[in-house]
Amino acid sequence: MLWTNKYSPKNFKEVLGNNKAKDEISEWIDNWLINKPKKPLLLVGPPGTGKTTLAHLAAHEFADHIELNASDKRSYDILLGTVGEASATGSLFNQGLKLIILDEVDGIHGTDDRGGIRAITKIIKEGHHPLVMMANDPYSKRIKSLKNKCQVISIRKVHTNSIVALLKRICTKEGIEFEEYVLRTLAKRSNGDLRSAINDLEIIARGKKSISTEDLKIISQKDDIHNIFDSVRTVLKSKNPQRIKEAMRVEADPAFMLELITENIPREYEKKHEIQDAYEMISQADIYLGRAFQTRNYGYWKYSYDLMSLGVALSKDETYKKFARYTNSTVYAMLSKSRAKRDLQDRIAAKIGYKTHTSLKVAKQQFPYLEIMFQDNELAWELAEYFRLENDEVKLFRSRKIKKPKTVQSKTLKKENQVKKRSNPKKIKDKKIKEQITSTYLHVKKIKSTQTKESNKKEDKIEDSKSKSNKKVSKSKSKEKQVSLFSFK
Amino acid sequence: MNGPWVEKYRPKNLDEVVGQDHIIQRLKRYIKEGSMPNLMFTGPAGVGKTTTALTLGKALLGEYWRQNFLELNASDARGIDTVRHNIKNFCRLKAVGSPFRIVFLDEVDNMTKDAQHALRREMEMYTRTASFILSCNYSSKIIDPIQSRCAIFRFTPVKGHQIIKRLELIAEAEKIKVTINALESIVYFAEGDMRRAVNILQTSSSVGEEVTEENVQEVVSKAKPQDVRKIINKALDGNFLDARELLREVMVVQGISGEDLVTQIYQEIAQMAREGLLGEEVYVDLIENIGKYDFRIREGSNPRIQLEALLTKFLFKANAK
Repeated sequence: MLWTNKYSPKNFKEVLGNNKAKDEISEWIDNWLINKPKKPLLLVGPPGTGKTTLAHLAAHEFADHIELNASDKRSYDILLGTVGEASATGSLFNQGLKLIILDEVDGIHGTDDRGGIRAITKIIKEGHHPLVMMANDPYSKRIKSLKNKCQVISIRKVHTNSIVALLKRICTKEGIEFEEYVLRTLAKRSNGDLRSAINDLEIIARGKKSISTEDLKIISQKDDIHNIFDSVRTVLKSKNPQRIKEAMRVEADPAFMLELITENIPREYEKKHEIQDAYEMISQADIYLGRAFQTRNYGYWKYSYDLMSLGVALSKDETYKKFARYTNSTVYAMLSKSRAKRDLQDRIAAKIGYKTHTSLKVAKQQFPYLEIMFQDNELAWELAEYFRLENDEVKLFRSRKIKKPKTVQSKTLKKENQVKKRSNPKKIKDKKIKEQITSTYLHVKKIKSTQTKESNKKEDKIEDSKSKSNKKVSKSKSKEKQVSLFSFK
Repeated sequence: MNGPWVEKYRPKNLDEVVGQDHIIQRLKRYIKEGSMPNLMFTGPAGVGKTTTALTLGKALLGEYWRQNFLELNASDARGIDTVRHNIKNFCRLKAVGSPFRIVFLDEVDNMTKDAQHALRREMEMYTRTASFILSCNYSSKIIDPIQSRCAIFRFTPVKGHQIIKRLELIAEAEKIKVTINALESIVYFAEGDMRRAVNILQTSSSVGEEVTEENVQEVVSKAKPQDVRKIINKALDGNFLDARELLREVMVVQGISGEDLVTQIYQEIAQMAREGLLGEEVYVDLIENIGKYDFRIREGSNPRIQLEALLTKFLFKANAK
């Protein structure tokens, strides 16, 4: 028998911490037992804090219980079939109340468990039975709609001291000698996850007479997303090189690590020179990542890691005592949100690339020009035909559908027509485009006036290259322009 | 079918290729001899690398060039698998109707190092049946073993007067009027890139009866990323998070490349200095930084991270006029 089961609490009193939550749950049960139906319970909290245990303890108070967790498929039909039916039929004892336990509701999968949340909502509405649900992530979108239909009870992390006390009790019962330090390390490492603390203890202590610091090496820290965020927090909060090096010992892709640290620099640092210095370090770290990738010499990674952690950490004047909300990089959200658009762009670019012998990248650089060319009906038709663009692909360049030109049957006719058309340019009827053009025209005029000034200057310079201009900066500017014009590299 | 002018007026033979005279001369010798070594064309975009490869292939392979010419550009998946299968299957067969076969690989610098190493083996194994033409922007990103197996030709940006000559030819064939000022303006914006020059010409001709300087500038200002000035201003005001978010939007969602964006930032800053919005010292300081990060991007790091870092250099600079 696993120690987590062996030492799991037998009643509410034995459950560690979360006294307020326990009281609320007891009250909820009492109300049900005296025939006062209550809203369903939603227990929210990090893993290993006792949510499932509490639910099971609650189940003892009722006649019967039925449970579904993440290992079961939980689509609309299945949920209604098992839970829905059970909730509609009664049990014989204890006023026939049957507790329904739905574990890990935030893990109900969007596609595999289609309609799962809808089914739960339906059960809540119809059911005459007590319902307890559990979730890890309080901000999960999946449970958003459930939250206002439930009594939400948040279950907090178990305090390190409580964990140590429990681990001591287990050791005593199992007859194991221990160093207090070992248990405390286990407790700290578990980060409030009681279950993992007991599991860790069992791994190093089962079948032994005593445990020491040596044994700690057997178990490695869990490397999950929370740990990565903790590392990011340490980097940004601390200035202690030892602690930071320790924190960076996570198994994460360095590019991902870099992205997370980068994302949160301006959320933690406030002074502009701190942000600048930190970003300089990020830039350097990124350069080494690029070099590692290009040369396949992954030895460069160590410089990258140090720069993105120590370099960034030491860029702040002093540590901030505030609470900053860290987030995942917004780039990932953008990538998934814009997937359809990017796919469309790629598809069009591939078609254009095929015809014009260019890569996707180069083809995409033509998009802005195509967008303008596509405003001309005739040309748009021609280009769409040439590149074999579908209607939905044309939409990337113009909002209106292209009308088939009347003269499309004959090539020669069409050409003539085209020439005619060019001699009659103000065919653009769309008001929007017209407005756009006039506004950009004004803008262009501005540019133009400055441009001509500059080209004059350029000529002057060629004539007398040694003459000193009063405006040093503008002179160097025109010089740069010249360079970029003729010896562009 | 007319289609885009870049294709319609792509040179049909080596003599038509503009601005790479020294290279064309040497390539013609290969045609005379009827054989060629492995070639590598390096140079910026739009200077004729692909065109030269295509016309050279046609000239060397003759009537059946299509069957004996394999073109793989970066849009095709070009991992190790492509190199191993497509190229291998193509090279394994002896040329029919042509003296040998040619494999043309575009943008080799975007291939992974692993794929490049795989490619190197293929180049060695099939010297009898096939020759390779590789093209890239930066030869520094090509592994040495490949470079040493190729005759390297460095393409230079096309000169202004040569671009004008070509554009005039196109204008004549298309029966459109183009003012000389418009041509000069196109040359200015094209920066030695013939593809861009032709694109600007065709686009400008679609917005008006005659191609004028105004038309050209209207097209160019419409065609450039519109949010760059906004990004710069937000950063100058010290609103880093918003500036960064917009930059990401432009790069991730709109798909503007880092190299394009850094050029655009440079141009906007120059423009702002001209308008008197930036002090001289601030301007010079920013230019120094833009150059620095431009270099880092081209060296092969993550363009978005580098540009975000560049943005931090703009913070609060507006106050320091």
